[in-house]
Amino acid sequence: MNQLIPLETASRLIKQGLPLSIAGPEATMDQLPTGNWIGGTTPYFMLESGGVVVPAGKVFVSDLSEIGTVRITSYSADELANIAANAPENGFSLTIIPAGGQVHKRFSEGAAAYKDAFLKPTVGWIAGMHLADLGKAVAKVYDGRSGHKYEDRAVVAYVSLPEGKLACLEIVNPFEPGTGDVLRFQQTSFDVVNCEANGRSVNFAEYVDQQGLAGGLLPLVGDFAGAHVNVSLQSVDKVGRKVKLYAPVFPGVDYRFAKPLENYAEAFRARLEQADQRGAVWSCNCILNFLFGELEGKAIGGMAGPVTFGEIAYQLLNQTLVTVRVI
Amino acid sequence: MSIPAATHPCWLRLAQGALAKLQSKHLGTQLMTKRLMTSSDSAQAKAAEIHAYFVQWERILTNEILQLPTL
Repeated sequence: MNQLIPLETASRLIKQGLPLSIAGPEATMDQLPTGNWIGGTTPYFMLESGGVVVPAGKVFVSDLSEIGTVRITSYSADELANIAANAPENGFSLTIIPAGGQVHKRFSEGAAAYKDAFLKPTVGWIAGMHLADLGKAVAKVYDGRSGHKYEDRAVVAYVSLPEGKLACLEIVNPFEPGTGDVLRFQQTSFDVVNCEANGRSVNFAEYVDQQGLAGGLLPLVGDFAGAHVNVSLQSVDKVGRKVKLYAPVFPGVDYRFAKPLENYAEAFRARLEQADQRGAVWSCNCILNFLFGELEGKAIGGMAGPVTFGEIAYQLLNQTLVTVRVI
Repeated sequence: MSIPAATHPCWLRLAQGALAKLQSKHLGTQLMTKRLMTSSDSAQAKAAEIHAYFVQWERILTNEILQLPTL
């Protein structure tokens, strides 16, 4: 099950003891009973019928019992390396992290370097809030065992797979690197002052503004040994001469701004059609795709899932759809 | 083709830079490759990590495993 359902139905599933991953608006999440579940806040979802913004009273539920055996835990910012260290030998770690805290920052900067990060994959999402509440509300994650909600802690559902099955983490990225300057950054950071553009030192905020990219529609696309990893622009401060990003940039990686999309939703649909969906069990997509692609009410194919403030497939990603396939 | 033994010299070659020549469209393999290319871990530690990785994902990395001894 990966479905948007009424609060009462979700509560019944929890009371039956099913291991669940749940997403929804905070006021609704707060009413769920304790049980074997993890959760995070977002009112945005992609469904088969298209993107939706849900009012209070409904939550999106993934029944993890259909995938494997499940163990739930949570970690502070100092314990994040344990996500991979304590993961099952064969399975995946479904992880939810609230946007904006130390856990978000430190996971995004360090996840790829955690021991066993690529042997025991971590997948998941960054919890958020309604965009109208930006600056007022704080994203939350839930440890259903206690019913506690946290502003700065990672909740994890470890899913162990049956013998003979493997978890494949895959991404659908509508963007490709453009043909502009190669950008390099000296530090791992969400906040950038300077960078190199084709070897020339520039103020990044000034550069972005001059290129006409300050609107943030196009992400940076990093070349990770052929994988295209997006980093989205959160804000460009021309006075303070710095750029705030939704994920960190890394030294040693070549970045380019993405090639513009003629039709955002159509580009997504085309990429999804090419993707192998066999065995897909879980998915999430980015709030910026929802927003810039105007996906509310538009069906693009693929699995239903939460729309998020960041996606996790081994490490933090932006403007990307993430899928777990079990094959 | 089965995975070369842990003592095969290909693992150290991969750890010392040959991994960058691997052709793969598998996300985990690509991200691990980039991480190892920028890591200060010893070549021996990297070689052990690469070997363990291919043992774990052998079933879905057929094309990549075929390339290993030639890199």
